[in-house]
Amino acid sequence: MDQVAVPPGHDVVEAGREPPATGTGVSNTKLAMWLFLSSDCLFFGAFISAYLFYRGRPQPGPHPADVYNIPFTSVTSFILLMSSLTMVLALAAIIRGDYRRLRIWLLATALFGATFIGGQVFEFTEFYRQGLSLDKNLFGSSFFVLTGLHGAHVTAGIIWLLSLWGLATQGRLTSRDSERVEIAGLYWHFVDVVWIVIFTVVYLIPK
Amino acid sequence: MTTVDTVQAPARRLRVLRRPRATTGFWSWFTTIDHKKIGIMYGTTALAFFVVGGVEALLLRLQLAGPNGTLLTAAQYNELFTMHGTTMIFLMGMPLAVAFGNYLIPLQIGARDVAFPRLNAFGYWGFLMGGLFIYSSFFIGGSAPNGGWFGYTPLTSTPLGRGFLPGHGADFWAVGIIMLGIASTTTAINFIVTVLNMRAPGMTFMRMPVFTWMMTVTAFLTLFAMPIITAALIMVYFDRNFGTNFFQPANGGDPLLYQHLFWLFGHPEVYILILPGMGIVSEVLPVFSRKPLFGYPVVVFSGIAIGFIGWGVWVHHMFATGLGPVAVSAFALSTMIIAVPTGVKIFNWLATVWRGAVKLTTAMLFALGFIAEFTIGGLSGVLHSVVPADTQQTDTYFVVAHFHYVLFGGLVFGIFGGFYYWFPKLYGRSLDERLGKAHFWLTVIGFNLTFFPMHFLGLLGMPRRTYRYDTGLGWDFLNQLETIGAFIIALAVLIFVVNIFVSRRHGKPAGNDPWDARTLEWSTPSPPPMYNFAEIPQVEARDDLWHRKYTEDETGHAVRIPSGAAVAVEERPAGGGGEDEHGGEGHGEGHGVHMPSPSYFPLVLALGLPILGYAAVFQALWLVPIGALFVAFGLYAWAIEPPTEP
Amino acid sequence: MADEPTSAGTTTEAEPRETEGEAPAEDQPGTALERAEAAPPVPAREQLPMLPGEVRPHPTPQRYVMIAAILVVVTSAEIGLYYLQGDVPDGLIIVFLLISMAIKFSLVASWYMHLRTDKPIFRRFFVLGIFAAVTLYLIVLTTLHVFSR
Repeated sequence: MDQVAVPPGHDVVEAGREPPATGTGVSNTKLAMWLFLSSDCLFFGAFISAYLFYRGRPQPGPHPADVYNIPFTSVTSFILLMSSLTMVLALAAIIRGDYRRLRIWLLATALFGATFIGGQVFEFTEFYRQGLSLDKNLFGSSFFVLTGLHGAHVTAGIIWLLSLWGLATQGRLTSRDSERVEIAGLYWHFVDVVWIVIFTVVYLIPK
Repeated sequence: MTTVDTVQAPARRLRVLRRPRATTGFWSWFTTIDHKKIGIMYGTTALAFFVVGGVEALLLRLQLAGPNGTLLTAAQYNELFTMHGTTMIFLMGMPLAVAFGNYLIPLQIGARDVAFPRLNAFGYWGFLMGGLFIYSSFFIGGSAPNGGWFGYTPLTSTPLGRGFLPGHGADFWAVGIIMLGIASTTTAINFIVTVLNMRAPGMTFMRMPVFTWMMTVTAFLTLFAMPIITAALIMVYFDRNFGTNFFQPANGGDPLLYQHLFWLFGHPEVYILILPGMGIVSEVLPVFSRKPLFGYPVVVFSGIAIGFIGWGVWVHHMFATGLGPVAVSAFALSTMIIAVPTGVKIFNWLATVWRGAVKLTTAMLFALGFIAEFTIGGLSGVLHSVVPADTQQTDTYFVVAHFHYVLFGGLVFGIFGGFYYWFPKLYGRSLDERLGKAHFWLTVIGFNLTFFPMHFLGLLGMPRRTYRYDTGLGWDFLNQLETIGAFIIALAVLIFVVNIFVSRRHGKPAGNDPWDARTLEWSTPSPPPMYNFAEIPQVEARDDLWHRKYTEDETGHAVRIPSGAAVAVEERPAGGGGEDEHGGEGHGEGHGVHMPSPSYFPLVLALGLPILGYAAVFQALWLVPIGALFVAFGLYAWAIEPPTEP
Repeated sequence: MADEPTSAGTTTEAEPRETEGEAPAEDQPGTALERAEAAPPVPAREQLPMLPGEVRPHPTPQRYVMIAAILVVVTSAEIGLYYLQGDVPDGLIIVFLLISMAIKFSLVASWYMHLRTDKPIFRRFFVLGIFAAVTLYLIVLTTLHVFSR
């Protein structure tokens, strides 16, 4: 019933496949993803700017210093950072035809991402318990919407990765499909890179 | 046994939906991924919205025909001017440009389709769903959008019941434009990748038609502007529905933040609107002057310059908000500077027509009209850049005059010209020239009668967005004139629509190249076959088609190459291997051209959007899983199905 | 989600496999997955030939791990600095944090997103987006007097 033919030893040869017959020499899909990511910079920039604009303005509490748990957020940030490593290892695996590692690293990335989201959920509930809500003050509004949208991006990425992992488990992802993993990887790294900015600008930089 | 998709074929196909195969017939329109059919759908839908937006304008003009009008209440007036603006900008202007871009870009660059055909279809269905979604607010939710097309906060961002805008209009507006923005962004990405990656061999950037160039710059503007307004609208939505404080002054929020975000999008948006019109004019003028475009590189670079500088002027929409002299002076300067590349284009157009063998077809008339009317609009724009003057003009009819001159006198004139120019290519029949000339002259008379007096009314202090005015202010007569002018425009548009219907059936038959034109789309049959070109052309010059038809004699005059000696497109050896992403073998040689297959899933995915939209507007949680199901199913099935199935 | 229609090339690629004398795919023993796993993967240390669209060979997994180690070190330094807030002037902290943020951003973008090894077109577009975002929003914040408070 399985129609996928992946003869031994052919995968690596396929990795050196023909360059795409495109005007720029790069694939359409990869170019499209990079254009989308450039666009997304402006999206997140708007919310980061709103946060920076409203930070420190006179407002009722709780204030960032009252609720931030830097050790906790550092751990979740580490996890997200490491998920970028596992993601790129997944890509390296599929290019080399190492499908076992592909599945391991894809799953690991998704799990790390899910852990990060779990951490966010925990953090948000903690903040809420301490009196910070969406509508409480400027900090609550700008913080929750910014980090919430980032979390939504991560969640979409996790679903994407799990779908790829599902395909890989069924043997439907071969080194010929490495670009599909690469595209997902680009999205994932971008989401990580946005968090690098958010973690620094929102959590670490002193008021 | 081995088929095209052996390697990538999934082990178990979900046989719920067989891949649609039809490329003709009524139902094929729902699953088509052919850029030409999608272009026609965009154009037809946008024209319908144009008429609706026009009716809204007529109602406004009837209310303002005399002092103390009683036709509309203030609330109705607010809905109508909001919807008029929203419709004309998001549901007419942008989609009509995309309609032309969709149909023409692949043909002009020698490709068989765009880079992502299914994504292209999704762009259309998303547009249709977004438009219908916003318009449904006339029937449900208590009110159509009523906070202006720009939706200033905190008027629009105050939660329902606690502010001054009745009904869910502002929610429909915010959510609807987010939906439209998603569709626009995908189309922008599609166009950019198409132009960068799918040009025919020999089609360097500096050989591309100016229309394609302008659409590319427009696509970049769209790509970077849409995320900004999406962010702003999310903030408005959250303020309204979740009580956030982004723009609530009582809790420290600042409405100016919204204005910055909105105009950061809003100013590039007006260049998104006008550049395609400029591109059309740059195509029409050379053909009907029988001269190449004067200063092609300069025209192209001016378009790029407008694209860049257009990001640096947005604060000129905020001159009256008290930002202080430093900010305001800086942006006054940048606004003056942007007049330069615009002016350069106008001079190049004039130089193109100068000493040309001018043929005043309707298309040419509209292109020339564009130059005249847009220049007037540009002049009033430069007057706005003078801050003290703008401080009086802002929020008066002077501004209304300005932007109608550039958008109607500019973009819409350009679009009309484009219709007359390219209609024969789409349908193999020309639009009737006599009806066309009636359309043109009635438009010129009606348009100027409607909008020129607005300059005076503005200087006389008549405010915008106000549903009635008192008598004795000196405004009565001019308003009357404007209303008459509006109905003349309506008559002109009616003639245009009749022309389209009549000419589709009975128009003068047109061959491949009825205008003796210059660019590649005219080398195909009218209408082109699904695969566009039998052989992908090998491009050797700018205005490639012209160079294949004509050579120059000693005096520099164009001499027609005898048809026996002409190297027609179909006969030129396909350069670069002729292998393009769509299979490459010529149809005439008996090889099938592998075109992408139709698909249900762009429509399925698009259907999820309004469902989620209603969930958002009415906070109806039960709709979320249904909408999510459409989105998830559409996305997943799309990702799994191969682009082509035999 | 490769949307480009598969070219005629895909059809021809399937054929050499048959001419090599192997049984058609459906007749080979085991599932595709088992057959794929039977194929020895290329050892991690071996440098692969360059893929289409690259201008340099892509990094090895070792390199990726090394970059991850640098990221961990930089992040640890940032967090350490956070706890020194009272003792070090705020201006210095901000500068250091922004620089480390930029370093981490560049490392992930250059190495993990392959901007370093791919054709420059991707880098140009991404930089354009970042530059546009930073410039425009800095102007907005300046106009709103965020930096002069």
